[in-house]
Amino acid sequence: MVEEADTEILRPLPYPDELTEGFWAGVRAHRLSIQRCARCRHWNHVPTIACYKCAGEDLAYEPVSGRGTVHSWTELIDSPGPGFRDMLPVIVGIIELEEQERLYLTTNLLNVDAGRLKLGMPVEVTYEQVTPECVLPQFQPVT
Amino acid sequence: MWEFRDKVSVAGVGYSKLSRRPAETLATLTANAVDAALADAGLTRSDLDGIATSPSMPRYGGLRGATEGIDVVTPWHLSELLHVTEQINWTGSTNGMVTQSFIEGAMAIAAGVCNHVIVYRALHVPEGRYINFDSQYAVGPEQFTAPFGFSMPPAWAAVIMRRYFELYGYSREDFARFIADNRANTCLNPNGYWRDKPMVREDYLAARMIADPMSILDCDIPVDGACALLLTSTERARDLRQPPAFLSGFAASTYPHPTGTVMTLETLWEGCEQTARRLWETSGLGPQDLDNAHLYDGFSIFVPLWLEGLGIVPRGEGMAFLRDGHGALGGKLPINTGGGALGEGRLHGMSHLAEAVLQVTGRAGARQVPGAKRAVATISNGLVKATAFIFSGGS
Repeated sequence: MVEEADTEILRPLPYPDELTEGFWAGVRAHRLSIQRCARCRHWNHVPTIACYKCAGEDLAYEPVSGRGTVHSWTELIDSPGPGFRDMLPVIVGIIELEEQERLYLTTNLLNVDAGRLKLGMPVEVTYEQVTPECVLPQFQPVT
Repeated sequence: MWEFRDKVSVAGVGYSKLSRRPAETLATLTANAVDAALADAGLTRSDLDGIATSPSMPRYGGLRGATEGIDVVTPWHLSELLHVTEQINWTGSTNGMVTQSFIEGAMAIAAGVCNHVIVYRALHVPEGRYINFDSQYAVGPEQFTAPFGFSMPPAWAAVIMRRYFELYGYSREDFARFIADNRANTCLNPNGYWRDKPMVREDYLAARMIADPMSILDCDIPVDGACALLLTSTERARDLRQPPAFLSGFAASTYPHPTGTVMTLETLWEGCEQTARRLWETSGLGPQDLDNAHLYDGFSIFVPLWLEGLGIVPRGEGMAFLRDGHGALGGKLPINTGGGALGEGRLHGMSHLAEAVLQVTGRAGARQVPGAKRAVATISNGLVKATAFIFSGGS
C-alpha cells in the first residue's frame, strides 16, 4: 500500500444538531443524560422530536445513572471505515440502561475481552476523549 | 381473507445474467430480465401496461449519489428503454423494499388498472467497498452509531446472531450444515452466482470474520443484475405459456425498529410474528400448508428467525431445525431451494419470489421439490418494510 499523507484519519465524529446537542453537551461534561418526556415520563433515545410512547413534544434531557446491562455485542473484525483500521478489533455493545426496559444505547465496550462478555453483564458508563472537542460515552464492566 | 386470493398470478419469470462488474450497464441487464419474463409468459413488450420497482442504491457511508442506468433503473427510465411510454397505465416506485412494489402491482391488476405488470429489481455493485463510512462526521441518527463503528449492516446482524447464540447455546457449528446445503442448492440453479463453487461445512467454519460471529459467508453476495416477474390476472394467466403461480396472500410489516440501536432479536421476532399473522389472515392458510419456503437471507440469521416468526417452529428452535437438515432439499420443508441471496445473489427478495413461483409451478428443474404446491416467501427482517407472500400452484 502507498503511504497516505500523515494526516490522521479519525473515526466518524458525532455532529450534534439542535435535537442532540443536549446529549453531547452532557457527555462533554462527563454526564450521561437522556431525553425524557414531561407528560408520560418515558425515556427516549435516540433523541426525537416526539416521545416514542405518547408523542408528547415536551422533552428535556435528564441525567441517568450510567448503569446498565449488556443486551448483545459484536466484535468488529472488518473495518467499518478508514478511521477504525488501526483500532481493530473493536467491540460494539448494545447496552440496556437500568432506567427503563428496552432503553438501548449503542457504544463500544472498553476494558474487557470479547470472550468474557455475557448477556446481562452489568456495565457502567465511562468517557473517551477522542479529540479536544469530542467526547464519546463508552461502557465497561462494573468495577 | 383477501377478496382477490388466487385471482392474481405470476405468469413469467425473467433473469439477466447475474455477475459482478460486467461489461453491460444495469439498464441493459434490466431490459434483458424484463424481456426474459415477457418471453417466459409468451408476451411481448407491446403487452406491458404497468411497471414497478424500488430503484434504490444501498450504500453505507461515503458517496451516495445514484446515476440512472448505472446505479439504478427507475420505472420511468425503463419505460423509455423498452419504448413503451405510450402504453403504460401505471408506474410504481416505493421507498420500501421492491416487494412492496410487488404488492402494489398485484393491486393494480386486481383493481383493473393494468393487465400485465412487470415488477423488477435491478442492483449494481458499486466501485470500491460497498460499506465504507469514510465521512469525517456522522449526522442525524448515525451520530449515535457510526462513531462506534456500528455503521455496517453485517454488524447489525451480528448482534442478533450473538444474542440468539447466547440465549440458546448455539454456535456457528450449528449453522454450518444449512450454509453448506444452501450452496448445494445454488449449484443446482443455472442463475446462481456461486453455482460453480461447491462448499463444505468446514469452509463455513473457516470463513473470514466480518463482525463476529458474522462471517463473509453469512452475508449475501452483491451482484450486478436484475430479476423481473410478470403479474397478470389468473384468468388471463391460464391462456399464457406457463402454468400460473397464484398469489394466495401477502402481508407487509409495520413493526417499528427499536430505538437506540438498529435492531434487536426481540423486535425481529415480534415483527416476523406480526407479518405472519397478517399473512395467515389474508391467505386463510397456516404453516402446516407449506411444502417449501423461501426465507430472506440477506444475512443468514434471518432464516431461523423467520422459521420461528412464521410459527413453523417455536422461538429458539429454528437453528436446530436447520442443523438437523429439515430445511435441505428432501427435508421436511426445503428452504431457499435456489440458493437464496447467499448463493444466487442479492436481489432484495425478488429471487425468493421467483423461486417460490418456479417451485409451485413445477419449473424448478434439478432442485424441484416433488409435488410442490404451496410456498411462502419472506423478505427483509420482519421490521417495517418487510413483506411475506404465499404462492400456490395447481388448478
